[in-house]
Amino acid sequence: MTRIRWLNALAALALATLSLGARAGDITVYTALEEDDVRVYLTEFNKTHPDIKVNLLRLSTGDLVARILAEKANPRHDVIWGTAVTQLSDPRILEMAEPYKPAGIDQVKTAFKDPQNRWFATTGYFAGFCVNTDVLKKKNLPMPASWQDLLNPVYKGQIVMPNAASSGTGFLMIESILQMKGDAKGWQYLKDLDKNMAQYIKSGSRPCKMAATGEYAIGLSFAFSGVKQIMEGYPIKLVIPAEGAGYEIEVSMLMKTAKNKPDSKRFLDWLLTLDAAKLYGERSEMSSVPGAKPTEAVLKAGLPADVSTVLYKMNFDTSARDKDKVLAEWKSSIER
Amino acid sequence: MSAAAAARSRPGEPAFDSDRALLALLLAGVAVPLLVFVVWPLAEILKLSFDTPKGLGLGNYAVYFATPKFARVLVNSLEVAVCATLITTVLAYGFAYAMQRCLPRGRRVLGAIALLPLYAPSLLQALGILFLLGRNGAIARTFGVDIDIYGFTGIVVADVFYAFPHAYLILSAALAIGDARLYESAEMLGAGRARIFRTVTLPATRYGLMSAVFVVFTIVITDFGNPMVIGGDYSVLATEIYNQVSGQGNMAMGAVIGVVLLVPAAIAVFVERWVARHHHAVLGDRSDPLRVVPSPARDRVALAYSALICGAIALIVLVVVVASFVTLWPYNLSMSLRHYHFEVQNGLAPLWTSIGVSLAAAVLGVVVVIVGAAVVRRLGPVLTQALYFLSVLPAAVPGMVLGLGYILAFNRPDNPLGFLYGSLAILVICNVYHYHAQGFLIATTAMSQVSRVFDEASTCLGGGLARTLGTVTLPLVAPALVSIGVFFFVRSMVTLSAVIFIVTPATQLAAVSVLLLDDSGNQNQAAAYSVCIMAVVAVALIALEATLALVRHRGGMRAPQLAAA
Repeated sequence: MTRIRWLNALAALALATLSLGARAGDITVYTALEEDDVRVYLTEFNKTHPDIKVNLLRLSTGDLVARILAEKANPRHDVIWGTAVTQLSDPRILEMAEPYKPAGIDQVKTAFKDPQNRWFATTGYFAGFCVNTDVLKKKNLPMPASWQDLLNPVYKGQIVMPNAASSGTGFLMIESILQMKGDAKGWQYLKDLDKNMAQYIKSGSRPCKMAATGEYAIGLSFAFSGVKQIMEGYPIKLVIPAEGAGYEIEVSMLMKTAKNKPDSKRFLDWLLTLDAAKLYGERSEMSSVPGAKPTEAVLKAGLPADVSTVLYKMNFDTSARDKDKVLAEWKSSIER
Repeated sequence: MSAAAAARSRPGEPAFDSDRALLALLLAGVAVPLLVFVVWPLAEILKLSFDTPKGLGLGNYAVYFATPKFARVLVNSLEVAVCATLITTVLAYGFAYAMQRCLPRGRRVLGAIALLPLYAPSLLQALGILFLLGRNGAIARTFGVDIDIYGFTGIVVADVFYAFPHAYLILSAALAIGDARLYESAEMLGAGRARIFRTVTLPATRYGLMSAVFVVFTIVITDFGNPMVIGGDYSVLATEIYNQVSGQGNMAMGAVIGVVLLVPAAIAVFVERWVARHHHAVLGDRSDPLRVVPSPARDRVALAYSALICGAIALIVLVVVVASFVTLWPYNLSMSLRHYHFEVQNGLAPLWTSIGVSLAAAVLGVVVVIVGAAVVRRLGPVLTQALYFLSVLPAAVPGMVLGLGYILAFNRPDNPLGFLYGSLAILVICNVYHYHAQGFLIATTAMSQVSRVFDEASTCLGGGLARTLGTVTLPLVAPALVSIGVFFFVRSMVTLSAVIFIVTPATQLAAVSVLLLDDSGNQNQAAAYSVCIMAVVAVALIALEATLALVRHRGGMRAPQLAAA
């Protein structure tokens, strides 16, 4: 029998080497923020909170919301962090939130927080075009300045944009067009734009990165992804559409089902501290937290000092209400 | 055998009963996990796909085939699979022919290079091809040509490279054996080279050829990584399952697409198994083994052809390695290590997780398949058939389908094994059962080379089943054990398709990080992460070679004695 005992021991060893479950100081956070930003934020967070280990799931906005809904019977996360308010305003998600007033919430403007304290915003984003000047010159294409310019047939097969069903940026683009132009003209515009579109991409920042490496001439994205590519040194010019840029705010919430509420609250509190605000100035195009100022480098890359001058005034209630209908229509008539 | 079986069934011998009990126990230990970790998830998928608001029915399938997009996805998958299969098989046949029937210089090196794609995540091919053949890739920039590789062409090219080594290995085995008498007769009858090839070589390798076709077809149609990276808007079944489940949270549609993918993959696998079983009949007892004689002209052609193929394979790997060290691809090509500073959740931690999971999968995998192979040859014909079927069944299950099945079966509170979900253990188990069929086949082959005579001798001398296994069988198959362990290790390091659904933030794996990095547009970091994975795999392979060399050295004295016995 010795051999069998040996086999058993081996199997037991194999299973024993696997650690199971979460530890005491762990919190699980779901976010739609960009990977690289998240990494910087969390590194800073852990400087003052070394005892909290943040387990992170990062997905594109639409994918993340779908995942949260799919797991609703057995939620795995304690906190949702930095995810589009129009998507989290879904009543099925709002009812999962536990009202919480983080320290410092009183300094946040009313537009950036829920009257019932279920969510608060720290940052936001708006639409921007990343245009590769190198490709433009090589292909002898004009510089676009507006949504209308993108319909020019010379751009056929040269533009990429995010897939509205999976990307929050993609959704905000089509929603802002629909709010600007009204339903009939808005859908017509999107169908015309589709003729020039080379690909619909799952993520909101990747179109800009594809323009940066010159795979395509124009990548429709959110403004800050353009700023990042410019700071990296890619031949990119950031164009904010002349009609006004649709925008979105990124909000955070605590889950009723959170397994580690004390540490989750400490994490949410930290999001409104000055430490965090400094980073928002370096890594986002708009912030709700006082003390968040865009840095020189960011302004040099083409971000306006006062973003309110370039924004198209979105109606978030309309966005949230129409979300499912708009996406269904987009999927059936435009998605490939 | 029948005498031994009869002896075993004689009642009243104590040693004997404990053997039977042990055998029953081992059988349960092998079969129950297969039922739980393979059959159950599959059953859950089938159930969900037929589950409609009005009870079980074909409603979901009606929706699937009535939606133009889904119908197109199926056609896309078949188109890609058929096209890539034809190209791969033809190219690999030529390559295997050059390796086995010609004597080009550097044959061993060329043969080794051809296996490179096995040791990297599948999407590495797509990544490399984009760096080379992207719209602004190396070729387009150098020659100023317009290339549009995204979509059908890109997937086919990437999958040809990805599936190539599998086809090459199968065809190489088929071409390695040949009956010299047939060739001599053909030459004496005055047949030319082309005619000999057509009337002797091709027919003799037809089973290997069919095997290769079906294996490649399965690999291509179930591949997830390459279409994700290079597919653009061209969806295939494997990516659409991911899109439905992970993107839209639509489990039911994911299950339906899973079944739609399962059907062609399963047919291909079972046809392949059927073909493989007939393969052995090609060589008779009295064949003369074929000896390849040098022929300068032919060998030069073989060298040129195989060098071309190996050059392309190596170039793809090389460009990924280079891109991982370049500052700003494609604008600033100076060297830098910045992409190894990973901007992905948990940084390099997933690589360590992957290594741990892969080591555990190697140990558990070896135990599971070796016990399975030992048990299966001691059973009666019916049980043997049943266990054999169960053991090779995972080969027919696409990774995406298995992974989705794991969510459905284990991510629910009413499952007593639900605690496994979200743990590292389920990743280990998933990898072991995902690759169970291949591991099991290597193990049974190794076992069958150990003559049953030893078993019976040991039994006659009073050794029980446990003792026979421990003192006779296991030491003899030790080299195979090491190979199986490395097989599980390597597959677990590079696989993406099944685990993509069951990783959690705390149990992220390296290959998934590569996909996430690519998905967010950080191609250079994705390249760098792939390089890390390949480095780990390379270390494992070197360790394997060293161990095998050691075993061969030590076992060298024993082998002839055994042969004499």
